[in-house]
Amino acid sequence: MKRFDADAIGEKLLRKLAGHTSRRSMVSRLGLALVAAPAFPLLPVSRAEAAKPDRSPEAKTAFARNAQTQDDTKCDYWRYCAIDGALCSCCGGGIHSCPAGAEPSPVSWVGTCINPDNGKAYLIAYRDCCGKPTCNQCGCDNADRETQLYTPQLNNDIIWCFGTQSMQYHCSTAVLVGGAE
Amino acid sequence: MKPHSAYVYGMCATIAACAVSAGSAALAKDPHGLEPEESDVVTISPPKPDWFFVRGGWNVDGTGIYDGKTGKMLGMVASSQLSDMAIDPAGKYYYVSETIWSKGNRGTRQDMVSVYDSSSLKLVSEIAIPNRILVNEREHNFILADDGKLGFVYNFSPASAVNVVDLAKRKFVKTVELPGCAALIPNPGVGFSALCSDGSMATVAAPAGKAQITHSASFFPANDDPIFENFAYDKAKNLAIFVSYTGLVYTAKMGASPVISAPFSLQEAAGYAPASTKPLSVDWYPGSRQPMAYNATTGEVFVLMHMGEYWSHKAFGDEIWVLDVANRKVARRFPLKDPAAHIGVSQGAEAMIFINDEKGKGTILDARTGEEKHSIDAAGSGIIVAAAGS
Repeated sequence: MKRFDADAIGEKLLRKLAGHTSRRSMVSRLGLALVAAPAFPLLPVSRAEAAKPDRSPEAKTAFARNAQTQDDTKCDYWRYCAIDGALCSCCGGGIHSCPAGAEPSPVSWVGTCINPDNGKAYLIAYRDCCGKPTCNQCGCDNADRETQLYTPQLNNDIIWCFGTQSMQYHCSTAVLVGGAE
Repeated sequence: MKPHSAYVYGMCATIAACAVSAGSAALAKDPHGLEPEESDVVTISPPKPDWFFVRGGWNVDGTGIYDGKTGKMLGMVASSQLSDMAIDPAGKYYYVSETIWSKGNRGTRQDMVSVYDSSSLKLVSEIAIPNRILVNEREHNFILADDGKLGFVYNFSPASAVNVVDLAKRKFVKTVELPGCAALIPNPGVGFSALCSDGSMATVAAPAGKAQITHSASFFPANDDPIFENFAYDKAKNLAIFVSYTGLVYTAKMGASPVISAPFSLQEAAGYAPASTKPLSVDWYPGSRQPMAYNATTGEVFVLMHMGEYWSHKAFGDEIWVLDVANRKVARRFPLKDPAAHIGVSQGAEAMIFINDEKGKGTILDARTGEEKHSIDAAGSGIIVAAAGS
């Protein structure tokens, strides 16, 4: 079985970031966050590295045991294991698409969610869509492996609208970044 | 026929004419003793130990001030969305760290600490700062030094840092980079401390000067059993009290090198086995958006608890557990009629508990008995902060 590759995931995230933004100041600040914190943990990375992929029901969280793969407008859709906010799928957008007029944030918090159809874990980037009032449809607050502000990339309360024209929060997407094992 | 409004304008064509008309009305005596009135504005006292400050909640402006004894609203601090509030220890000011844009949701971003007089609740001053985190309100994203002269505003841009603000001189001092740390802890005579993602506690000495940063040894598993950033601080004992997702209770004697205790289990303190991080293990866990409050007089922590599995740390509380920290015993348990999202405890002689839900319903309970004293509709659905004790 292919093992989880921390470097590859990190590179994938940063390449996506570079591809999504031209705002030098934001990138420099993010660079500072990454460079100035040698212990800055890519936590889903290290977690997946350390944990054996036991996908038995006894090893799954309550969310993972009950997740479904059919309806991305429901809070129990498998990719939403750590989402907090309004689902863009209910706001005129989609699982990885911002509704018209909104702008995706190039950075995000992340979750590691298990697809119940194949039992594999995937890295999910919960990118906020920004620049419009809160959508208020389909509010979800799932918290698998969600932590506190001192681990910001795993905290789902922060407004992640960095590098966008407006920092107003509209809704949240759940973009599949890649396999986590 | 003329519309009614046009008729009124026709009769009262100028402001002066209206004033004369109103003056004439004032001269007429009402047989029921209902005299004409003039508009005025009240002032309120400085914060008292029985008071609670209740945020409007997500997407709602304002912080309501409530008297815990009467359940009555006394006023409102003009806090904007995603702002944080701190109370001047001398009781003269309310400080709001906030972010606004020149054109509503766009335009020029402005970050500031707004200073409100605690009696008139009017804006006194604005202190510009370079940035701050945007997240729903937290108690520990904006704290004050013990003497109230400095304010520390957590900053996430998305690099972690802390803005140091001189509240006495009303000017921004500097930004201290603090990678991987957040949740600011008072540390009188030193500066401030913070919890970090490597499980350590960072301490920033002389934050307005050299801002020297030291770290404790790692003492909690930040990824596997995080400490809630909503923690308690006992000013008299200079002691911080933390609870983790599984209910482990840590204390830290603050100082230049904080001394952190070995943890004990909240569930064991209630006569149960310690809670587990394993799936399918259903236990009592602490949780909600603001899981704990503290009464410094009794040394008791009030924790919102729910039954569930691990990673249910945002679930609202079905019970309040009252932990005697020194004796490591859960002294009382109060089942709740409705699950609670936030909790605060007043610091007066007869302590009261204030809880609310996300619909904004507020309930005030007697902290000794759990008896419901007041119920307040639309009290606010955000965090609850109690005024300091006398």
